[in-house]
This record gives sequence, C-alpha cells and structure tokens, in this order.
Amino acid sequence: MSAYEDLDLQQRMLLTFEAQEFLYREASLLDERRLDEWLALCTDDIHYWMPIRRTMNVKDLDNEFTKPGAIAYFDDDKRTLGLRIQRLAVGRAWAEDPPSRTRHTVSNVRILSADANEILVGLNFHLYRTRLDSEEDSWIGRREDLLRRENGALKLARRHIYLDQTVILSQNMSNLF
Amino acid sequence: MSATLIATDRNPWYDAETGVLDRRIFSDSQIYQQELQRIFARAWNFVCHESQLPQSGCFFMNYIGEDQVIAVRDRSGAINVLLNSCSHRGNSVCRAEQGRTNSFLCSYHGWNYDLDGRLVAIPGQEAFYRNDVDKSKWGLGKAAQVANYRGFVFATLDPMAPPLEDYLGWVGRLGIDMLASNGDLEVVDGVQKNRLKCNWKLAVDNLYDWYHVKISHGSALRIGYAPEEAMAPMSQMVILGEYGHGIGGPGITQVELDEYAARMKTGGGEPKWYDMMAGRRLDPRVQQMLGPVGNRSFGHPNIFPNLWVTQFNQVCLRVPRGPFETELWWFTLMPKDLPEDERRIAIYMANHTFGPAGLLEQDDGENWSHSTRGAKGAVTQRLPLNYAMGRGHDRVEADPSGQSRIETVVNEHGQRWTYRSWQEWMQAESWQELMAHHSPAPSGVV
Repeated sequence: MSAYEDLDLQQRMLLTFEAQEFLYREASLLDERRLDEWLALCTDDIHYWMPIRRTMNVKDLDNEFTKPGAIAYFDDDKRTLGLRIQRLAVGRAWAEDPPSRTRHTVSNVRILSADANEILVGLNFHLYRTRLDSEEDSWIGRREDLLRRENGALKLARRHIYLDQTVILSQNMSNLF
Repeated sequence: MSATLIATDRNPWYDAETGVLDRRIFSDSQIYQQELQRIFARAWNFVCHESQLPQSGCFFMNYIGEDQVIAVRDRSGAINVLLNSCSHRGNSVCRAEQGRTNSFLCSYHGWNYDLDGRLVAIPGQEAFYRNDVDKSKWGLGKAAQVANYRGFVFATLDPMAPPLEDYLGWVGRLGIDMLASNGDLEVVDGVQKNRLKCNWKLAVDNLYDWYHVKISHGSALRIGYAPEEAMAPMSQMVILGEYGHGIGGPGITQVELDEYAARMKTGGGEPKWYDMMAGRRLDPRVQQMLGPVGNRSFGHPNIFPNLWVTQFNQVCLRVPRGPFETELWWFTLMPKDLPEDERRIAIYMANHTFGPAGLLEQDDGENWSHSTRGAKGAVTQRLPLNYAMGRGHDRVEADPSGQSRIETVVNEHGQRWTYRSWQEWMQAESWQELMAHHSPAPSGVV
C-alpha cells in the first residue's frame, strides 16, 4: 500500500471523500437499526476488535492495550457480528428492548494508506447513547478501518476500535461501534 | 451511625424464617458504610492471581471495599498488599492500574516507598525535617494478612481474621479448586472492567440464580449461542459453607457421570447437556481434588463476599463503588500448557459470553440497576422482597466424604444463605464475635 505521503493531493481528496461517504452511510445504518444491511457491508473475513485499554504509567505504555488473541471487549468475525444482530431480532434482548437511541459521529477522517483495492482510514468517533428516560452513555475513541473494494463497492474488512475509557462506564455495550 | 439501622434478631433485614428480605439493604448509605467496615475490611478479599505479578516490581491495583490497594511483588519474591495512600498527605502513590515499578514515589512531595511499603526517602529530611522523623514508623498501610490459595492471592485488612484456608473452609476451597483443577493456571492478559448502577449484593446474588437464565438471557438461548438445557438444567446442586461461601447451579448424579464415561468409551449414545463440562471430571486427579460430591457439581461458587468463580475459566469480582454502583472485573485464567486450538476456543468463549459486550451479560446489568432503583423509593423500599423459592422443601444430604449438599431443582438456597451470612457479618462487632456466633452450614430440611 502507498503511504499517505506518497499520495498526491487529488488522490487524497478522492479517497477521503469516498471513505467518508462509506463511513457516513454505514453509521446511519447503525443508528437506524438497519443492521442486516450494515452486516452486508462487511467482508466475509472482517475482524471487528476492541482491545482493553489500561491506565498505565508512561514507561509501560507499550502494554496500554491488550494484544490480538488476548482478552478484548469485542473480538468478532462476521459470524459473531451476525449473532449480535440476530439476537436483537428474536425477542428477550432486554438491553435493547426498549431500544436505546444511538448517534454515531465520525470525524478527523484521514487516509493512512491506500492501494487500488484497499483504503486504511484513521478516524475519531463519538458514539452517544441514550436509553429509557435518563440513561446516557458516551463513548469516544479512535478507529482504524480497513475498507476494501469488492465488485466495485467499498466494504468494511477490519475495524479496530480504541476506546478512550479504561473502566467502561456503562452497564453494557449492546450497540455496535 | 444510627443504631436503628442495625438489624436485630427481632427486626432483621433478612428473615430466615420466611425468606423475606428488606430492600433497604440495597440503598441505605449507612448500611453500605457498615458493610465497608464489617464485611470488606474484615473478610479475606481476592486481590489478584499470582501470575499477574511475574517479577519483582510488578503490581496490580484493586479495591478492598473502597480502600484502594496495590498488590506488588517485592525483591524477595513476596507479594505485598499495600494501601494506596501516602502517610504524609494521603495522596495516592500509584496511579496506574497495573505495571512495573522500582518504588512508589508520591507525586505530591516525593515521599518514596519501597515495594514492601517501607518509607525509604523523604525529600528535605535533613534540611526541613531536621532529621526529626522516624521513617520506620511512616510506611504505607499494609494488609494485615496476605495469603495464596492455589495461586489466588487474598488479603485481609483485619489482623484477627482466621487463616485463609480456615476462612475458605472446604466449600470456599472447593470453589477455587473447581477452576484450579483445570491445570497450572495463568491470567490471560486483559481484565474486563465495567460499571453498573447497582448495589453490589444484587450482582452477587445473581450468580446463584438459575431461574433468570431463560428469561434474562432468552435472546442468547434463542440464537443458539448457549443451549437451553445446559444453561438452565433441571438438576441442581447447592453446597453451602461457613461465613457465606456457597456453590449453586447445575449438578449431575454419579450414575450420570458413569454413563457419560461409558458413552465416551464407546463413542455412542445421546449427547447430554453436561457433556461440555463432564470430560475433565473423569480425570482421577480432578476427582481427587474435588471429592465425590464436588466432582458432580457444575455450579457457580461465590467466595464470600464478592468473588464469583465461573464454570469454565473466569472469575468475576463485584467491586462496590458506593451503595448504587458496582464494577464487574473479569479475570480469565487458563492452564499454561493449554494447546493453542483449545486456548483460542476458550478465549473466544471468554470474549463473547460475559463482560459488558458479552452475548449473555449485556442483558443482566439493567435488571440489577432497576432492582437497586426499586430500593430507593420512599414507599417502594418498604415492600419486602421474596427470596423464598423452595424454602422448606429440600434437605441437606450428608456424604461419607463430609461433602454435604442439596440436590434439587432451581432454587434460591444460595441467595438465602448469602443474606443470612451477610446479616451475621453485619451484626458481629468483631471477628471474635463472628467466629463465635455465625451459623454453621445448614443441615436437615432447608
């Protein structure tokens, strides 16, 4: 893949625009709970992962996040993402019944690298959730999303989510990031 | 502290005769303060697994009640449990939740403590203090006792507490053995932590609850993530131990275990709900470790007050953070020599079942937070709670091995035992009084 520095301005503009359009569309599918359509935007080999972040002293920051293969909040493939979505459709998924209301905001989108098939995007996100009469959750963090062209359309091939919280200050994470 | 909130025999919070519980124990701030004094400051509390501290200087931060403690391995190899508060102004001497350090240097004025808590340096000792300070008297507060049972490190802040193995008794030890019998364990990197708006006891009493599974976790069962017959089997076994320890959940008969063994030999026969768990129980070393009754239990142990040991490879600490908040801390433990493919499956299970995004656990938190909220209403809190399921219909059966147990259907024996023991802890003024007056494990009809 070409690194960001190797892309000229026009390439970066086109890639950024294309990535943003994709990201905004899939964020709105999540907020509108059109989750089957969202899942269809994922490649069959997607890796959807949120490691555990720890409060560490500066000299131990190499271990701030758990590594792949260790314990994580999310470590999903397409099948387990499908289970999460299917769960909501079969009844007795109490965490989302009544449904919580979410708003996915994506910003600071930048192309980290790209080639003809794939775009690696870095971005900041804010997932706001409100629930019942007064519950509020706010998750802010950084993501690295790998977008891949399949049959001419972009799909999500990898989503690595680096949350800013260490102790998760929420009763659950029953929504997708 | 108001004396009116101390439960007396005449007016108990938990009425053992009827199985009725006073909701105020989930919302009253004086009761909560008393729990910090009489339960957490007195009990043996799980602080970490020894594998989390592989070298000198490695530390892991935890809580005993609301006292923040640092578990740290010192240069002699011993594990110390230190109160995280400088002797000078009380500031924290450690901010990270885990890591490695040479000493604990207070960020306020630079008092510096060794890994065993000794105060080793005070800036300005000569110039400002004129050498008029005895460093040997101003070390960090330390746990009164620290002990290790099969790699699980516990600490108590009370010098009068009995030795850990006596405190655990056979039931608490069995609870840990059920996990430790998996092999030579180590913690997989990553402790999941999340915060619920519930009283800690509601999170504890749920671990014995095999009644909620089909309802609360109905969606996980319906999508086939967990089979219903394994998640809420009819045959249940409850084992109750002194000081509030207990094990409650699925159990099988010796006949079933023998049939399973025969089936495994021939490769034939119908699969049963316990097949996933029973394999290990054919190992003579495991049988020896768990005993004839323990070997038939697949229940959930609770090490009183707040350490849940799961059926597979995790423990969960229910950390109190005020009367209305609790953190769940999930530790995942696996045998060091587990083959890579089994390890991958075990980590998959750990990452998808519990924790805030777990397919099962997502649906738990709101139940407990709303139960807590229901204990706040001025009138609602006067309404009693029914913990009476099956009360008076079961019997504790003795076993020649000494492993007494109840074999029955879904029940609330574990919850009742928790609140009965909890009340005795709350009434006792001291360890001496608790030792003298606590209930022995139940016998006969329960």
